[in-house]
Amino acid sequence: MTLAALVGLAAGWELIGQLDVSMFVPPLSRVVATSWHLLGDGTLTRAAASSLLSLVKGFVPAVGLGVVVGLAMGRFAVVRYALDGWINALMSAPLSALVPILIALFGVRDTVVAAAVFMFSFFVIVVNTSTGVRSTERSLVDMARAFGAGEAALFGRIYLPAALPAIMLGLRLGVVQAVKGMVVGEMLISLVGLGERLIYYGNTFLITELYAVILLVLVLALLAGSLAQACDRALVRWK
Amino acid sequence: MPAPETDRRPTAADPVAITVEGVSKAFGAVQALVEVDVRVRAGEFLSLIGPSGCGKTTLLKIIAGLVPADRGRVRVGDRVVAGPGRECSVVFQDFALLPWTSVQRNVEFGLLLRGMDGRERAARARAAIAKVGLGGFESAYPAQLSGGMQQRVGLARALAVSPRVLLMDEPFASIDEQTRRVFQDDLLRLWSEERKTVVLVTHSMEEAIYLSDRVVVLSPRPGRIHQTLEVPLPRPRESADVRATAEFARLVDGLWKVLRKLQ
Amino acid sequence: MVLALRAASLVAFLLLWEWAARAPISFNFPSPWATLTALAALVRSGALPAATLTSLQSLLLGFSAAVLVGVPLGLVMGVVRPVGRVARVYLDLLIALPTAALVPLVILSFGINVLSSAVIVFVFSAPFVIMNAYGGVRDVRPRLVEMARAFDASWTQLFTRIVLPSALPMILAGIRYALSRAFVGLIVAELLLSPFGLGKLIMTTRSMFEHDRMFATVLWTLLFAGAALAALARVEARLLRWRA
Repeated sequence: MTLAALVGLAAGWELIGQLDVSMFVPPLSRVVATSWHLLGDGTLTRAAASSLLSLVKGFVPAVGLGVVVGLAMGRFAVVRYALDGWINALMSAPLSALVPILIALFGVRDTVVAAAVFMFSFFVIVVNTSTGVRSTERSLVDMARAFGAGEAALFGRIYLPAALPAIMLGLRLGVVQAVKGMVVGEMLISLVGLGERLIYYGNTFLITELYAVILLVLVLALLAGSLAQACDRALVRWK
Repeated sequence: MPAPETDRRPTAADPVAITVEGVSKAFGAVQALVEVDVRVRAGEFLSLIGPSGCGKTTLLKIIAGLVPADRGRVRVGDRVVAGPGRECSVVFQDFALLPWTSVQRNVEFGLLLRGMDGRERAARARAAIAKVGLGGFESAYPAQLSGGMQQRVGLARALAVSPRVLLMDEPFASIDEQTRRVFQDDLLRLWSEERKTVVLVTHSMEEAIYLSDRVVVLSPRPGRIHQTLEVPLPRPRESADVRATAEFARLVDGLWKVLRKLQ
Repeated sequence: MVLALRAASLVAFLLLWEWAARAPISFNFPSPWATLTALAALVRSGALPAATLTSLQSLLLGFSAAVLVGVPLGLVMGVVRPVGRVARVYLDLLIALPTAALVPLVILSFGINVLSSAVIVFVFSAPFVIMNAYGGVRDVRPRLVEMARAFDASWTQLFTRIVLPSALPMILAGIRYALSRAFVGLIVAELLLSPFGLGKLIMTTRSMFEHDRMFATVLWTLLFAGAALAALARVEARLLRWRA
């Protein structure tokens, strides 16, 4: 069914494009050809590489710090009460509004993109990790403590494994947010990466090229998501 | 003993007989029921019992008109069942109450669907609510009620439309035993005041013997009528200590022996 | 106790901010006080209210379109299963795509005007309204439908008295989430579009190095979005009082 829907979409797109309904909708075939060309001559490959680098530079710290903060928030009520107001507020806030502040902080440089990636994904990871820890079955904790488990053992053998599915969910959602942060960040500084290409082709009215980049961004987003899902399945096999 | 049907004036809500003739039903490759013939007398209390998967719930749904039979025919009174009808009311195991509205409105639901006007609906619903012993809870929401109380709402809803036939699908299965016993007695009391034909699906042998005039045992898939047991215990049963009698124990044991062979 | 902790963390945040303003992190990093005074100045000068009003136009236009189009669409998807299964694929793609990537395309197609930003707001928020309406219909408890059918309910009655009330919580949650997405779309659109609204104010104050005003505008925007979402949450709670 999914395949049929996609084929239908591709066919429809091609048809509308060929019929020249609007100059803003080029046929799919031309878009694909342009993509190929741009990838070949290096423009898109360079941009994609820069984007991916920023993605990793921002996401990895977000995961590291996010999981730690989430664990702390989940385990210790003090930490939770202190931080959850901020975390929840920022999770549903239009974080794009904060990107100009990042630009003010770091200047018009590619660090801004990594910072945006971090900012967009951090909160989702924290919230999901914290929820995962908090929903650990009380009986498991009691059981471990009855067998003499100390704090470290509790964390390593009870809380962390129990929270792992939630953490993985946070990572999956975080990756999606990270890609969005990457795109927004790149578009706003208009310096490097796929976001810059989007602005450039938009400003120069190169519509087919614009579609090509959009397509590439979509592919990137889907790949990132699939990777996260694969990690999830690999690590959480008992669910 | 079966209900006396001649010493009352016939009214719109008088019970009717149910005839199931040669009903078969398959779901894909799975044959649920085969050649089922059952005759329920007007005003009779009949239980359907059998091992899991024997098709008793399917049979009930066919009688209710919710599921069409592949073969055979069901008649409720004079009507041949081709869909849900006005003479039947169903009570569900998981209560099936609308969580977003009050007890009052839940009980009014069947009447609402039939286009009854607001004032009459409200009056009838209130009467039904009082009958099941939930007077005072009209504005409560299902989430605020215990399982037993929720099922009383389900029963009130079913009774509010003045059915001739009451179809109950394991109505007490989700209720704790003490509440269940009280509820069973209340059901018998209500039933003796307003006779309806009742078909009850149950897993509990004790419940089947306690409540019914007759118990029909279905065989495991594909479901067939395996045996029918008469329950000659005198009525009323709710005020007597029926469960303590030797006769009751004998009947339950007899039913158990039949079921055990089917496992 | 809890209140004390939250208050403490707020104070800690303000102190950190104050410290950051004094430390040589970056030139012209405004302190909390500077931000507040700038905020007052912007409100008095009328720049902030004017920008808010313009932004509000695009937001309301795009968001209400998303709700008015999205809810019926989602309901249809849920009721007519084949439509749902196909449309769902497209929606999943749309949601996976970082919607900001579509902004240049929209600007090209619609020009630099309120319509453009409204369209962007729509594209950001509509998919979630649709998906939630769709999910709400699909998640109706089959037992309730069966019960209504046992009472011989017609299709219309089934839809209005079972499906719709059942799906309402999810629809409202979708609308609430869509509003937060609408704000994101609004900000992204205006940051990139620039000619008007709060986004423009943010960008121009930044490019003019009026960082205190920029911070003030960002703060205002976040508060505005937060207030709108809180209000919507109130409405939702009122409508869903029956939940235990």
